[in-house]
Amino acid sequence: MDRVPGNPPDPTLPGPISLARIFAAFLRLGCTAFGGNMPGWLHRDIVVRRGWIDDRVFLADFAMGQAIPGSNGIKLTVQIGQRLHGALGAAAALIGLLTIPFAIAVALGALYAGFGEHRIVHAMLDGVAATAIGLTFATGLHSAVHGSPGPAALAICAATVVAVGVMRWPMLPVVAVLAPVSIILALINGRRR
Amino acid sequence: MREGSENSLFALFIVFAPLSLLSFGGGNAVLADIAQQSIAHNWTSEREFADLFALSRAAPGPGSMLATLIGWRAAGVPGALVATIAFYLPSALLIFGAARVWGRWRGSIWYDAVERGLAPVAAGLFLSGGIVVLRASPAGWPVWAAAIVTTAALLRWPRMHPVPLLLGGGALFGLVAVGT
Repeated sequence: MDRVPGNPPDPTLPGPISLARIFAAFLRLGCTAFGGNMPGWLHRDIVVRRGWIDDRVFLADFAMGQAIPGSNGIKLTVQIGQRLHGALGAAAALIGLLTIPFAIAVALGALYAGFGEHRIVHAMLDGVAATAIGLTFATGLHSAVHGSPGPAALAICAATVVAVGVMRWPMLPVVAVLAPVSIILALINGRRR
Repeated sequence: MREGSENSLFALFIVFAPLSLLSFGGGNAVLADIAQQSIAHNWTSEREFADLFALSRAAPGPGSMLATLIGWRAAGVPGALVATIAFYLPSALLIFGAARVWGRWRGSIWYDAVERGLAPVAAGLFLSGGIVVLRASPAGWPVWAAAIVTTAALLRWPRMHPVPLLLGGGALFGLVAVGT
């Protein structure tokens, strides 16, 4: 077992990223991430736009996070913050992410108390939700192509979509079965190379 | 509804902290429990809960700031703060510890295989999440059409910022509703 003691620096990182930059990036994410699909927004900003971590690391963190309870956006934020700058990075990312949504949620609550509901408002919310799902799909497709190429990986991805998306089986047992299979396939493919 | 605010702060914490540790697969996993508890504790009515849920989807931020909204409804700004911390902090600490342990194996064959093996499963989960939400939407085919157009646009122009698309989607659906 070629286990490396301690936490060696992540070779996929371009260099240390300052706490201020981490806080600023997540503060901005907090204000722009509409539609309740935080992992999609994180992927777009941190992986695609900034290139702070790569697709594979992002996806592994996301999938591993399925074993831990909690909001996926929060878990990924802690994981990414920690990869970028240790414990302080995780704290900076988490506080940055939550500050503005917290303020907006309280403000919206107050507005709601005044306005109640309207048919047009509901239609607009439907439209926002639909486009937000487009972001989810784009993340999934981008990841399926770049995260782990090869026919075996595509088959695993398709099996996951059929099980969870089409058959609507619960996520946890599906991951508990498909993840070990996929890891063993990756191990075999890695040896062959 | 707001009797004894210290009591409701405590109750908010007692309700949301365990839910944080039960929400396997994301915050939506405990949505049904959040609904039951907030109605049982008289923090919201059923109608209000449905509206707060829709609001939390329209607001920016992780999964839902639903806990924040319910906390606010139950006990004002302190309630919002207590509910948010109770719902997010326990799982954040847990994932932090797990990530530290996992990081010690970086560089091993296993670490590499696990990362490569988990990637397609995660990509599949993303796609499934979108499909499940679309199937649950009451608005029907226009929602599918808008989602597919957005997907194509984001894949074609990867660096494009999604907010204009969201605002466009909201405006378009709003206009159609005005016209019908």
